[in-house]
Amino acid sequence: MKVADPLEGHTSKTVDQSLHDLRTHAVEMGGLVIDQVGSAVKALLDRDANLAGRVLSREPVVNEYESRIDRESLTFMALHQPVASDLRVARAIARAALELERVGDESKKIARFAAKVGAVAPHDPVAAVARSLRHMASLSTTLLRSAVRALDEANPALAREVLDRDREIDEEFASALRQVMSFVIEDQQFLRATVDTVFALKGLERIGDHAKNVAEQVLYMVEGERPRKQKKGDRGQGTGDS
Amino acid sequence: MDTVISSPAVSKVRKVAPMQGETSVQKPDTPSLSMMLEDRKASRANPPKATAERLNFWYGTNQALKNINLVIPEHQVTALIGPSGCGKSTFLRCFNRMHDLQPDTKYDGAITLRPDNVNLVGPETDPIEVRMRIGMVFQKPNPFPKSVFENVAYGLRLRGVTNRTELAERVEKALRGAAIWDEVKDRLNDSALALSGGQMQRVCISRALATEPEILLFDEPTSALDPIATAKIEELITELRQRVTVLIVTHNMQQAARVSDFTAFMYLGELVEVDATSKIFTNPSKKATEDYITGRYG
Repeated sequence: MKVADPLEGHTSKTVDQSLHDLRTHAVEMGGLVIDQVGSAVKALLDRDANLAGRVLSREPVVNEYESRIDRESLTFMALHQPVASDLRVARAIARAALELERVGDESKKIARFAAKVGAVAPHDPVAAVARSLRHMASLSTTLLRSAVRALDEANPALAREVLDRDREIDEEFASALRQVMSFVIEDQQFLRATVDTVFALKGLERIGDHAKNVAEQVLYMVEGERPRKQKKGDRGQGTGDS
Repeated sequence: MDTVISSPAVSKVRKVAPMQGETSVQKPDTPSLSMMLEDRKASRANPPKATAERLNFWYGTNQALKNINLVIPEHQVTALIGPSGCGKSTFLRCFNRMHDLQPDTKYDGAITLRPDNVNLVGPETDPIEVRMRIGMVFQKPNPFPKSVFENVAYGLRLRGVTNRTELAERVEKALRGAAIWDEVKDRLNDSALALSGGQMQRVCISRALATEPEILLFDEPTSALDPIATAKIEELITELRQRVTVLIVTHNMQQAARVSDFTAFMYLGELVEVDATSKIFTNPSKKATEDYITGRYG
């Protein structure tokens, strides 16, 4: 069932505060990983090793947020034995944090590639799919931002929007893969970089899935029911599992 | 509201799987795993043992129960939760006609006991007969000032059991049934008042079990006990459902969550919501239930 603000109105203000803290930390973590994704892709496109290094250096902070939220939600459950919407909020935030941590991991992988990719070459796979990389990064950060906002506002409409839009990333990923394949047929000089480029594209596609998973957690948190999974026929050509 | 509130699982089992047993559920479409799990759960829901229909109750002019409609499934544990004064204990006490002991009380409606469809609160029904079929365990352990053996044998003697061997056998069976035999088998002739609180409560449960009731009522059975004794009683309640239908009133929501199959939430004398306990404690349908169980009440 839907409640106006699932975090407030408890007789025990400690419960209100614990839930608020959990949510605040998840939203902060969301902001950080969105920046990680954007910076990692920018570092790759601009061949900016310094920016890539900054993404890598912030990765432990993302992990620390996840551990902290996990610890706080576990403590909250142990001390307050929440039920119904309180239980769903604590669980949804802990699971959303896990998804965001995985987004952090994907950003780290892209940043590692960015750190070693070197200067732009005439037949460079990254340059060949630069438009797709930029588009997928923009889409995935937009979806992540919406998913985190949906979590913050307990907004099911926004969460549903994320579920609907995930296929756009899947479609862009499929299109980018075709470009990479055309590229590799013409030029096999950069095989290693081509493989890494595919991994970067796949990472962005996975980030879309993680945004979708956060949105599903929001829907369960607010409505108490799991959103119905889309049938395969309803999906685009993406390969994302969720 | 005139329709009897039944848990979805109970109504579902009537439609889909009238017979017990997990393999009896058949569905026309290919079910998903979650649907299969739901059905397995539903197949564990039993037919009604008792049904309250349009039940009203008054203490003088004060109406304590308002049009209660509730199905109590057989061999399952149904928990009644709600704030103080919501009528849950009043409702429980209707089952063994305890209100008859108070002047100026009035019942209206019915609690129908299966299989013979006796109306427990009907004026034509003898309360003594009712109490022979419905046992009760109270908040504070209340053994008689007699030996352990005599406490448990009391109801049997009242029913005319005089054969010593039979008495001994039935007392042992009841004490074993309440998981206290091993603790008192060498102290059967000691006063029951010399036992610990948890042991006394289990002797009281044995006393209720000895006469083989069809329904066992628990009114806050562990609120005077420590956590270990509470855990033992809760484990016992879980086991007891194989033999009797259990109705329990508790202020401890975690206890309702731990021991019951179905939970009914009452407020201001009305039944607000009843559903499978797992549903009530994860996603209740009514806002009042949500507010109460998440501590937003008052």
